Amino acid sequence: MQPEPKVLKHELSSRLFHWGLILGFLPAALTGIIIWLKPGSESFVNLAMQIHIIGAIILTGSSLLYAVFALDRVVVFIKHSFSFDKNDLDWFIVMMLRGGYIKKIVFRKEVEIPPMGKVNSGQKMFSILLLFGGSFLMFSGWILWAFIPFAPKIIIYWLNMGHLLFAIALTMFLCVHIFLGVYFRDEFKAMFTDGTQSLKVAKEHAPVWVDREVIQVKKTAD
Amino acid sequence: MAEYEYIEQKTEVSRRAFLGILGAAGAILWSGIYITTDIFQDRNKYIKMRAKGLYKDDTISKIRQSHNNHAVAAMYKEFAQKPLSPLAEKLFHTHYIDRTKLS
Repeated sequence: MQPEPKVLKHELSSRLFHWGLILGFLPAALTGIIIWLKPGSESFVNLAMQIHIIGAIILTGSSLLYAVFALDRVVVFIKHSFSFDKNDLDWFIVMMLRGGYIKKIVFRKEVEIPPMGKVNSGQKMFSILLLFGGSFLMFSGWILWAFIPFAPKIIIYWLNMGHLLFAIALTMFLCVHIFLGVYFRDEFKAMFTDGTQSLKVAKEHAPVWVDREVIQVKKTAD
Repeated sequence: MAEYEYIEQKTEVSRRAFLGILGAAGAILWSGIYITTDIFQDRNKYIKMRAKGLYKDDTISKIRQSHNNHAVAAMYKEFAQKPLSPLAEKLFHTHYIDRTKLS
């Protein structure tokens, strides 16, 4: 039996950046909740703050490295995230308003989904939030860490409030992202192994992307 | 080593686009830093103006030390007995509050 043709979905730079997000954002989010709710002793919260800073360093460092060394991927990410058409509206109606995800995941029913590009409409929302929210979290976080005694209280108050609200929103989206990422095993494998996915699966999940943006580089063995 | 037959079309970032992105990022960063430093400088400006005003008041005052102030001397004589008396301690001494914390 011939092996199925594969498409490179996530380049090495994107997979490494994704690891940066995992190692940076996850500990920062968990310790952020501890710093916010203070469930333990003062030394426990202080330890959480130290881990929070380490997470922030990894997050900021990996974002800067990705922006410098994989600028073309950042451009593609922004292009994919901000391209909307009628299919996106239909996607929201089918998946969110008419309970498409619940039918698909809970009741295991086939749901007819409008054709999507590399990222679907829900992922676009997450990407936009990640772009603006993530940038704000990093900016406000470093100001809060270094400049509280020097900055006007009103500025610090709103930076702190924005930091908290964006962090809550991103953490909630992250929970959904992790669940769906693990649920759709092909997507999980593509991101955590060699970045490839079978062309058949890619056509099923992202037909617009395969039609418009994917090109053949090697002859398939047929 | 990953084996694949298909890839996503390369998005070439031309020199013009690269400089454009760099320029836009630089402008956003510069504006952000300018606004932030302006806010910080404004805050320091009012503190400095206040300090300057206090020094100016001191300079034009005939009595510049609190222990020479007639009103303070009279207050101790008629009411609080002497500096550091129990009543003065009770009324004038304050306690430290950490105001670096937000809540």
